[in-house]
Amino acid sequence: MDSQQLTTLTGVIDKKMNRQLKQYMDICARCAICKDACHQYVGTGDFKYLPARRAELIRQIYKKYFTKSGEFVPALYEARDPDDNLLDELYDSAYACTGCRRCMYYCPFSIDTAWILSVAKAILIAAGRGNEMLGQLADAAIFKGDNAEMFNDVMISGFEDIQEEVREITGNPNSRIPVNKEGADILYVALAGAHTIRPAAVIFEEAGENWTISMFEAANYGFFYGDTDKARLITKRYIDEAKRLGVKEIVVPECGHAYRVAEMFYEAWSKEPMPFKISHILEKVDEYIKSGRITVEKGLIEGKVTYHDPCQIGRNGGIFEQPRDIVKAVTDDFVDLIPNRQEQWCCGGGGGIVAMDEFKETRLASGSKKVEQLRASGASVLACPCENCRLQIEELNEMHGLGLQVWQVIDLVVAAMPLKGKKPVHV
Amino acid sequence: METYLWITSVWGVYLTAIVFFGGMGWRIYEWSTTPKSAVRLGMFPKPKSGAGRFAKLLGDTFIAPQSAKIEPTMWTFAFAFHLAALGAFVGHGRLIKEFPVLPEMLGEAGMNTFAAWTGSIAGIVMLAGVLFWIARRTYGPFKNLSVPEDYLLLFLLLGVVVMGDHMRFVYGGTIHAGVYRDWFMSVLTFKPAFPSELLSSNVSVSLGTHMLFADLFLMYFPFSKLVHSIGAFSSNLVRSSE
Repeated sequence: MDSQQLTTLTGVIDKKMNRQLKQYMDICARCAICKDACHQYVGTGDFKYLPARRAELIRQIYKKYFTKSGEFVPALYEARDPDDNLLDELYDSAYACTGCRRCMYYCPFSIDTAWILSVAKAILIAAGRGNEMLGQLADAAIFKGDNAEMFNDVMISGFEDIQEEVREITGNPNSRIPVNKEGADILYVALAGAHTIRPAAVIFEEAGENWTISMFEAANYGFFYGDTDKARLITKRYIDEAKRLGVKEIVVPECGHAYRVAEMFYEAWSKEPMPFKISHILEKVDEYIKSGRITVEKGLIEGKVTYHDPCQIGRNGGIFEQPRDIVKAVTDDFVDLIPNRQEQWCCGGGGGIVAMDEFKETRLASGSKKVEQLRASGASVLACPCENCRLQIEELNEMHGLGLQVWQVIDLVVAAMPLKGKKPVHV
Repeated sequence: METYLWITSVWGVYLTAIVFFGGMGWRIYEWSTTPKSAVRLGMFPKPKSGAGRFAKLLGDTFIAPQSAKIEPTMWTFAFAFHLAALGAFVGHGRLIKEFPVLPEMLGEAGMNTFAAWTGSIAGIVMLAGVLFWIARRTYGPFKNLSVPEDYLLLFLLLGVVVMGDHMRFVYGGTIHAGVYRDWFMSVLTFKPAFPSELLSSNVSVSLGTHMLFADLFLMYFPFSKLVHSIGAFSSNLVRSSE
């Protein structure tokens, strides 16, 4: 390793250094209590996925270059250079991590391994070893933001097609998907794909909401990639759009990381206060049901229903009860997974891992706890927000023959609404 | 033997005090002058009020209920060790001043018996904790995760506890707190001297070795992972932060 590269890589840690990171580096007792908290370690038994080991790789560099004791007696800490061997291991540790922070929940010192691994990803990117797929997806999203007019016609045409489907479902020929509506109260930032727009549009229209749809998607591959500048630019696309349209509130879809990026991270990245309220769509839907703005009926959903807390919405986002209240509003046959809420097992599909084929084997093995939970629940329907969770659980469902129907929560809601039009069919 | 005692139990104490307090001060200075994370790192559920967050911080730091749930065996040994260490620390307060109330209630002999029992229990519990941790680091993922620092600290801690227990169980019936107090207060008042009872007894070997391990342990403390003893408050507070 040449000295210039060493300076670059240690410089990344220096740039990312803050009180929390420093303490996480200094205080870990390597007690390994975190091992049984990590779905990936439990599912694969592979040492490199043990959370404390993942963090230890960064600690080895930190000890050597940021502490006197590590500089003088590196052997005491197994401190070492960020050489090829370390970077190889770091790549697997960092990009396989789903960022669920279940290890942090159980750690006696609340060490945020996912945060440490965000530094690991920054080191890998500086070393030219960032995940290519995630990097390309992030760049594509930024390109779209820089050249929005190039995509306008395609987007609007797509929205018009979905609008027709919405009208069929509601039975209301005036149902709309408003685009570029200045003065709307809400800007809804969906994911790419009609499935996150159609049910949301039905709900907003039936609730009589003054809303408009974003020309951009909420997914943020810059966040998964580990590049905060890219992540900020991707988010900034719809923040600028919301400012231009003068909306009061941004509503993100069921997607887990999109909520956390907008609500928890963007202010810090942009160094400016968030001028809008950020809401998760399930918060809005819960409000609509409780205030009577939309009506749902029980009995239209068949079978026992359970709910999976996506990590970025639940443990890391604080949305536990609203989705449960929604599900309980559409069925009397609800059963919770055990454990649940803040102790919920990660499904294994978060953090962008579903987009990285090289981790497929690890990803599917890491779903073993989720499979156990789902089997034990006896449910035949799973209400599952978060696109990544659904993709993972659908694959687990097929692989393990669980016989589950995996629904978005907003799809369940639409299915339980007494609409005049055609009932949406679950696919 | 007297030279050994002077090195470990007089000059060693002064050096340890300088390194320990200086090191801990430096550590706190370093942490407090490093900017806080701009990103919100808290997790849910979290108490809404400041008082609630403070109460949760105390619970998370002193009881670690989540850790107890996921690994009860480790938690039991760790909790018992820390409790015993706290008891031992309080007990060592007798080196400075005899406890109030208890001696009047129990009498001198009764107080010595009480100290013998509580000290013995704390010593055994601490020994069990250290042995458990050592055993745990000899296999599987615990072994793979361990670095020399972990074994060094456990070795030093084992030395402190074993020699402390040796003093307690072998000499506890003959040399009592008052004798050690004379030595310790002489060190604290910068007029170091050893009582003749100490010098004439083989306990001086145990004391010297107990102090040797304690000196080394405490001098390394601020530069080791043991700074979790203060850092855990701050990191656990972040868990419940806005």
